[in-house]
Amino acid sequence: MPVLAVDGTDVVIATRAGEPILAALCRHGYAYRFGCRRGGCGMCKVTVLSGRIEYRVTVSAQILTSGDVQAGVCLSCRAVPQTDTVIRLSPDDTLRCVAPFLAAAASKPSFPPASSKE
Amino acid sequence: MGVMRLGYVHARVTDLTDSLNHYHDTLGMQIAATAPGRAYMKAWDEYDHHSLVLEEGGVGLVKLGYKVEQPEDLDVFEKRAQQFGAITERMSKGENLAIGDGIRIVLPSEHVLELYHEAEQTGTATGTLNPDVWPRDLIGVGVPRIDHCLVTTEDPVLLERFFAEVLDFRPSERVVTDLGDHGDLLGSWMFCTNTPHDMAFIKGPNGKLHHFAYQLADWSEILRAGDLFAMDDVSVDVGPTRHGITRGTTIYFFDPSGNRNEVFSGGYQTFRDFPTITWTADQLAKGIFYIGRELNERFTSVLT
Repeated sequence: MPVLAVDGTDVVIATRAGEPILAALCRHGYAYRFGCRRGGCGMCKVTVLSGRIEYRVTVSAQILTSGDVQAGVCLSCRAVPQTDTVIRLSPDDTLRCVAPFLAAAASKPSFPPASSKE
Repeated sequence: MGVMRLGYVHARVTDLTDSLNHYHDTLGMQIAATAPGRAYMKAWDEYDHHSLVLEEGGVGLVKLGYKVEQPEDLDVFEKRAQQFGAITERMSKGENLAIGDGIRIVLPSEHVLELYHEAEQTGTATGTLNPDVWPRDLIGVGVPRIDHCLVTTEDPVLLERFFAEVLDFRPSERVVTDLGDHGDLLGSWMFCTNTPHDMAFIKGPNGKLHHFAYQLADWSEILRAGDLFAMDDVSVDVGPTRHGITRGTTIYFFDPSGNRNEVFSGGYQTFRDFPTITWTADQLAKGIFYIGRELNERFTSVLT
């Protein structure tokens, strides 16, 4: 499964098939600014520094503009990593560990994984 | 003479199939009609043709429809809206499926509001002859009816004046920054029926939807709705909890496009002589979420 890393932190997590970025980080005990979790508000936009993401549902161009797409910005509640991915949160947001026991319990994949041939 | 109630909400959704899963399978609205890229929905205790139009493409509000009591009310409201300085136009029967002639008004907040008198009546699920108290074949939450809408506006004072002077709505509750003469209005909850609000607005960008709400019978139905949201993986914003403003019990949640919905129950009754309640901004969190007394960042940020 694709590995997800958050730029500027030492957080590296394993995602599950079909799992959006926000859901994967929440499952590991992390949180950052998000809103509706359904792609309607744009509060959870992050920048994809490397890797490839896909949307399994329609996202509105009203929310994710062509400018966003060109700048590598994605709606993290809907964007599903297809390859190992590094994201950067918006400059006024920070990643918080809200459930340390979940973060501690998760196995920590290496990044980039030794097997990665991307 | 007068506006009787919120008749329909016309909203944009990114995916119609996903939206039907939500509004039909989870909330239990019936599909009254479909057209390419559109679905017309109604709740079981509503007798007009539909109360929700879902239009595929984008998110947010297309327009709101409020039903007036008499055909001639349309002329009065049209004249008043024009005198207020609002842009109006006549709409013809059939422009909206199953809805008659009416007036389309661009509000000072840039939202589009339609007034109409005639709607095709298709009846409630239990009928009007020796009816049972609820239908046996309800799906999911089984919402009985749409209740109210809350939008954002850059100028709450102006929008409150519009609803009061043009449409004869009254404010049940207001939030102000300060009780003195220099206090700004942050929000107003206004009624035309006997409920605490039929339309509400808070300060924010023009043209945006905060939420539209369904009425449920009581607190236990609110809890049951919450259980169903967990089962159906509905994104929940806040609740179950209670509002200080309106005293209603509530869950805020999101449809699959990110439009905020609410299930709402309780709240006091209002009458034409209801004395307006005032909240000060320092108590706003308690006014909105009475039990937790904390506003999350989504409350003012997530708008569609």
